[in-house]
Amino acid sequence: MVGGPGADRYSRQVLFAGISQSGQQALGRARVALVGVGALGTVLASELVRAGVGALRLIDRDYVDWTNLQRQSLYDESDAEAALPKALAAAEKLRRANSSVQLDPIVDDLTADNAEWLLAEHDLVLDGADNFATRYLVNDVCVKRDIPWVYAAVVASYGVVMPIIPHNTPCLRCVFVAPPAPGTTATCDTAGVISPAVGVIASLAAAEALKLLVGAREALSRGLTWVDVWNNSFQRTPLGGPVADCPTCGQGRFEFLQAERGSGAATLCGRDAVQVRPAQPLQVPLAALAERLRPLGEVRHNAHVLRFITPPHELTVFPDGRTIVKGTSDPAVARSLVARYIGS
Amino acid sequence: MAVRVRIPAPLRAATAGQAEVQVEGGDLATCLSQLESQFPAIRARLRDDAGGLRRFVNLYVNGEDVRFLQGLETRLQPGDELSIIPAVAGGA
Repeated sequence: MVGGPGADRYSRQVLFAGISQSGQQALGRARVALVGVGALGTVLASELVRAGVGALRLIDRDYVDWTNLQRQSLYDESDAEAALPKALAAAEKLRRANSSVQLDPIVDDLTADNAEWLLAEHDLVLDGADNFATRYLVNDVCVKRDIPWVYAAVVASYGVVMPIIPHNTPCLRCVFVAPPAPGTTATCDTAGVISPAVGVIASLAAAEALKLLVGAREALSRGLTWVDVWNNSFQRTPLGGPVADCPTCGQGRFEFLQAERGSGAATLCGRDAVQVRPAQPLQVPLAALAERLRPLGEVRHNAHVLRFITPPHELTVFPDGRTIVKGTSDPAVARSLVARYIGS
Repeated sequence: MAVRVRIPAPLRAATAGQAEVQVEGGDLATCLSQLESQFPAIRARLRDDAGGLRRFVNLYVNGEDVRFLQGLETRLQPGDELSIIPAVAGGA
């Protein structure tokens, strides 16, 4: 058995007729962006990096928390202890799995301001997001720039997967014209989520990703696949072609990309937490901030993040001024805590 | 034989946990009324306050989106399958 990072690494995958040598070469040239490195995202990233994609951009705004370890398979206790940003913690683990993949961690939100810049120049976008606003933004960029993407979502014991090739298959907005109003659908906040559901949905999405990257469009699972691992159902709904009067892919209106930036405070899914963004990115000297906050409560910091504990709240500050306030789901409370302790 | 209605997991609280229920048939509007009279709690999940179908709930007859059939006037025959597909948001 030959050791080291030689050609043998991909031998089992190259033996598979659907990939073969030419597919492996296509994978090696592929640039993939992953939006969200949580439950779905860690599984997707692991499968794509091990499969040998050329480059993977990992975009995530959050840090590793103890409640993540039940299902976010790339992270361990030391990541939660250090509250490492997920994009960085994931990149570190993935580098050990396959050092030949170019990894590009981005610790930030995907917003209307940066989405086009962050996702353009990629061959494929993968969805590991936890909310609909982000997905419609991804859909706008991908339709505008003609980039295939894979919609995947999971809650409780069920989830959906839908590969999208702009102008060839229905886009997200062809199928779901409007995002559900907040509070009208189950989220991981209200219904929880089990890890096997995550694994199944993420792996189905990864399979679609491989097909798209090696050009096996005839093998694509066109339409929407719905799986429930607890109630034992696997249902595929073929959706036909794009909808002619779809606002996004039919009429070319990119409303989510053109949207004004929101209030700057957003409640995070699955957590008793609110993210507060400064109007402009700041450069917060974390060491100096730590000195200033130390008399007021427990402070821990490293190069990537500062954690300030002032019960019942915990503030996690990133160097660009973005702050996640844990212990409240009220944006007004979060904003006032940030104004008091970090400055606005 | 009747029309089979497939109930997705998030709506099963309204159907006492049943994954598949049956209605008599007719056009889609009639089938939905039959479904709602059997399971009144499902109405609020499918319709907005004005009684219109919620925009993020999709209905398919034998895998075809009813928007590209005849909408609420689509005829369902015995043995047809009506699927309800709501949007799913989670990922964390």
